[in-house]
Amino acid sequence: MEFEPKIVAFLCNWCSYTGADLAGTSRMKYPANIKIIRIMCSGRIGPTFVLKAFREGADGVMICGCHPGDCHYHEGNYKCLRRYKLIQKYIQQMGIEQDRLRLSWISASEGKQFAELAQSMTEVIRELGPCDIKSVMETFA
Amino acid sequence: MSNIRIGVYVCWCGTNIAKMVDVKQVAEAVGNMDDVVISKDYKYMCSDPGQELIIKDIKEHKLNRVVVSACSPRIHELTFRKALENAGLNAYLFQMANIREQVSWVHVNRKEATKKAIALVRGAINRVRWHEPLEKRRVDVNPATLIIGGGIAGMSAALEIARADKQVILLEKEKELGGQLRFVNRTFPDFIPTSDFIEPMKDDVLHHPRISVLTEANLNELHGYIGNFIGHIQTGAKELKVEFGNIIVASGLKPFNPAPMENYGYGKLPNVITSLELEKMLQTGEIRQTNRKLPEKVAIIHCVGSRSSQYHEFCSSTCCMTALKYSNQVLDMLPNSQVYQLYADMRAMGKGCEELYTATSRKNVMFLMYDQEDGLPYIRKAGPKEDCNLLIEVNEKLSGERIEVPADLVVLMVGMEAHEQAKKLGQTVGISLCGNEFYIEKHPKLDPVATTTDGVYVSGSCQSPKNISDSITQAKAAAARILATINYGSVEVEVTTAHVNEDICCGCQTCVRVCPYGAISYIADDRVSRVNEVLCKGCGTCTTSCPTGAISSRHFTEKQILSQIEGVMLELMEN
Amino acid sequence: MITRVNPGLKKDLVEFGLQDWNDCFHCGNCTALCPLTRNDNLFPRKGIRLAQMGLSEKLATNVDPWLCYYCGECSDSCPRGAQPGELMMVLRRWLTATYDWTGLSRKFYTRKSWEFSAIGIIAAVIIAIFVFLLPPANDLASNPEAYLNDQGGVMINSMVTGIDSEHFMDYIHTGDLIMALIIAGFLISNILNMFLKVIINDKTVRIPFRSYFTEFWRLIFNFGTQARFSKCDNKSYWVGHLLLMTGYTILFTMIVAFLPKFQIEEITPWYNWQRILGYYATFGLMYFLIYTTIGRIRKSDQKMRFSHPSDWIFIVLLGLTTISGILVHIFRLTGLPAMTYYTYVIHLAILVPMILIEVPFSKWSHLAYRPFAIYFDHLKKAARKKAAKVQFAAA
Repeated sequence: MEFEPKIVAFLCNWCSYTGADLAGTSRMKYPANIKIIRIMCSGRIGPTFVLKAFREGADGVMICGCHPGDCHYHEGNYKCLRRYKLIQKYIQQMGIEQDRLRLSWISASEGKQFAELAQSMTEVIRELGPCDIKSVMETFA
Repeated sequence: MSNIRIGVYVCWCGTNIAKMVDVKQVAEAVGNMDDVVISKDYKYMCSDPGQELIIKDIKEHKLNRVVVSACSPRIHELTFRKALENAGLNAYLFQMANIREQVSWVHVNRKEATKKAIALVRGAINRVRWHEPLEKRRVDVNPATLIIGGGIAGMSAALEIARADKQVILLEKEKELGGQLRFVNRTFPDFIPTSDFIEPMKDDVLHHPRISVLTEANLNELHGYIGNFIGHIQTGAKELKVEFGNIIVASGLKPFNPAPMENYGYGKLPNVITSLELEKMLQTGEIRQTNRKLPEKVAIIHCVGSRSSQYHEFCSSTCCMTALKYSNQVLDMLPNSQVYQLYADMRAMGKGCEELYTATSRKNVMFLMYDQEDGLPYIRKAGPKEDCNLLIEVNEKLSGERIEVPADLVVLMVGMEAHEQAKKLGQTVGISLCGNEFYIEKHPKLDPVATTTDGVYVSGSCQSPKNISDSITQAKAAAARILATINYGSVEVEVTTAHVNEDICCGCQTCVRVCPYGAISYIADDRVSRVNEVLCKGCGTCTTSCPTGAISSRHFTEKQILSQIEGVMLELMEN
Repeated sequence: MITRVNPGLKKDLVEFGLQDWNDCFHCGNCTALCPLTRNDNLFPRKGIRLAQMGLSEKLATNVDPWLCYYCGECSDSCPRGAQPGELMMVLRRWLTATYDWTGLSRKFYTRKSWEFSAIGIIAAVIIAIFVFLLPPANDLASNPEAYLNDQGGVMINSMVTGIDSEHFMDYIHTGDLIMALIIAGFLISNILNMFLKVIINDKTVRIPFRSYFTEFWRLIFNFGTQARFSKCDNKSYWVGHLLLMTGYTILFTMIVAFLPKFQIEEITPWYNWQRILGYYATFGLMYFLIYTTIGRIRKSDQKMRFSHPSDWIFIVLLGLTTISGILVHIFRLTGLPAMTYYTYVIHLAILVPMILIEVPFSKWSHLAYRPFAIYFDHLKKAARKKAAKVQFAAA
């Protein structure tokens, strides 16, 4: 059977989740591999959520927030950006390719951009193949 | 054995969901999960019978958690929360799984879509298990309203609210009220002099005891939340601190500057003017060339800066009819002149507009169509022997001919664009801009007046280019919304705030530094941080920053989200 | 090539009968349902556009108006009531004036006084010729028996004083030939002018020399059959027009070429070929006259809703010519020489101005312009085809 990537996407409520809804109302198409989890602000995202997703078997994780300057909570997306850089380092040390975690800014009007992002993320992960961190962790557990 | 009893409802949304997702299979697949008591599918969950179904089940099966798998929570979360309340259950013991906007409408493979829907519903079930009842809080509403912008929209809203005997603070950044209409001579399609209604309106606003007008004023800072805003307003050298309960942003527009468009030679060629400059001529009652001669041939070019991939993609919506208005006004003042209309598409929507087009087309007006993609009109100076000043070269679309239009005066119909300060003002009041830098409304169809920030409304051309009547309509709608809130006296506020478990808090104050609202303060006596829940908006940044895990965001707790991740991945593991 | 727009053309076309000017907003319905239009030649829309923009040079090279036979379907279905069919009619008048180098056509179309004066002058000349040179015999009324033949019919060539029947016939026949030469001269020169405007001045096409010969049959074929007209949805227009055209052509040919053969002293039997053809032609003319007169009065048919003065002048002249011709025939058969003489003079006093004015300068000129337009159109088509082939080969 062909490898079907499992991707978890954390979307902020104000920009990116609305943008993903817009992709739907505009009937844009993207692969069903992306599963969206709504949070209020990208500033809420920390390493726990990302690592939990990998731990549960995700092959890729996406984080989407408002464009810089547009955050509904003024600056949550900047905090997200800082944490993202740290998490990137951290997962690489764990042996997870950095391409498996992606941060993107999607505004409420960018349904098309969201669909394209979902498409490209799926392709990138399909290329990388399954993430084996889960089995590794189980071995050590 | 836990005492959690979950009811799951999968909506067909007619065929919207059912066509792409096997709703029965979804309901079956999650039916045997722990704590799920019943799992059903139904045609329209949001309909009255759909909600009745939930209420009935809650009572009959003693449900204490509900999951509805339907459209986006942005659309119907409140509907279902209300249904829970009607059944006597706390509104927050509810979770939605979005299987329409994020599944059925975006996927093409029914099997995969169904699989994804099951995963999302499992995530929701896992999450709802950890939901806690939250008590709603209401805050009193300050009956004063801040209106930003003293144009036709701002003034209409101000008068509407003031006439209900409520206080209005009207901010205008210019010296006088009136906005763009100060520069417009008459309206379309009825040719009413704008001064006929703008002047009395200004008078009313300036003399109304309930309206305080602040000219040359700007909003520097804004704090607070719906019902209880505090604004720092700059007037001259002074900064005032003003309290109010609601805000209407009616900051208006800015005309497009055609100078960067080389093909029109605006600013370089004499007798190439913008629509605003023509308005000025109409106001003085004289249309003249730069050499003071009366023009015999007047060309009006539409869509300058509008509907082009290079400048603004949107349609400014009023220029076509304004151009027709000019044709009539020019022909009235210069009956022997010839008018040319170079248009891209004639958009004559609205009351009386198509009639204006038909009537104008029977006059001395030649309509010539051009296609922005096929080259813009190019203006050059005519030779000394010509009987005109300027020559406009253009590919005429309907004939396919390359033609030359002689003109003494060329009027560029410049479109509207967002104000330079729109972005800054948007950040100050906490509302976002769309791709064209106009403010985004809460919902394009269902709520075109409110914004995503409670208590902040938009009106007029700052939301999208608008004509006078549409601006007034939107302004009055915003005023009505605000009066309704004021009349009620209080509003519900966010309960999904952060709170500190003071037993764990180590007093490091990281949270105090990251909070964008200053809602967390350090209590030195107790050596802990504490959240002011009125100021907190529930972004959750502090929760993630807390090194000890002492802070949690209500309704977005660690446990809830981690469980949701588990649920979403659960289905995937079965592959 | 850049062309200057000219709003002045509008005023010009109004004089040729243009009604509403800018009503058309180019939805293209008219062109979509026209059974005659082709992909590479879209009318009436293109013509309307050129007219609206006042591109007179482009219009002069454009033969589209001649390719339309005005079935009226476009006007019927126009959502703006813009009368595209009528615009094509107006353009045909305008083109007739444009092809005419003498400028008379423009005067006749735009000034009624000119047309009426011209008709009056020519009629007066004809009557004067008869009064001064060919007056009736003195006893024509008092002694009719002397002017009847064996069958009791009027001897038509012997009614005048001073000259015998053979000389009278010579006079009339020579007159006919002069008339035919005059109209041929004007028509041919105008067609050359049309050729200049349509083919030579159109720099976008180069006609392959061979095509002038290979396409020539279309000219003859379309003149004789009006085959293009038969492609309109309403076939009855074509039948009516064909009756008129054949009737007119037969009569004209008989008058110009065979007058001595049929304007003879004895009355031929009814089944004689000349009489059969004459009756057929008369039927054709009368059918058409009655049909169009009623139509134009009632405005029942789209194509007859708008009548320019030139339309009515044409019908009245043709009607009077036909009726006077029928009367001459009746008076001859019934043996009334005086009545025959006077109606004969009246017949000629109407017929001659009609032919001299209508054929080269006015409505009737389309008998030549239409087939030539089809010929020229096919020449251009052949040229485009060749150009495409050359391009294809080069690629």
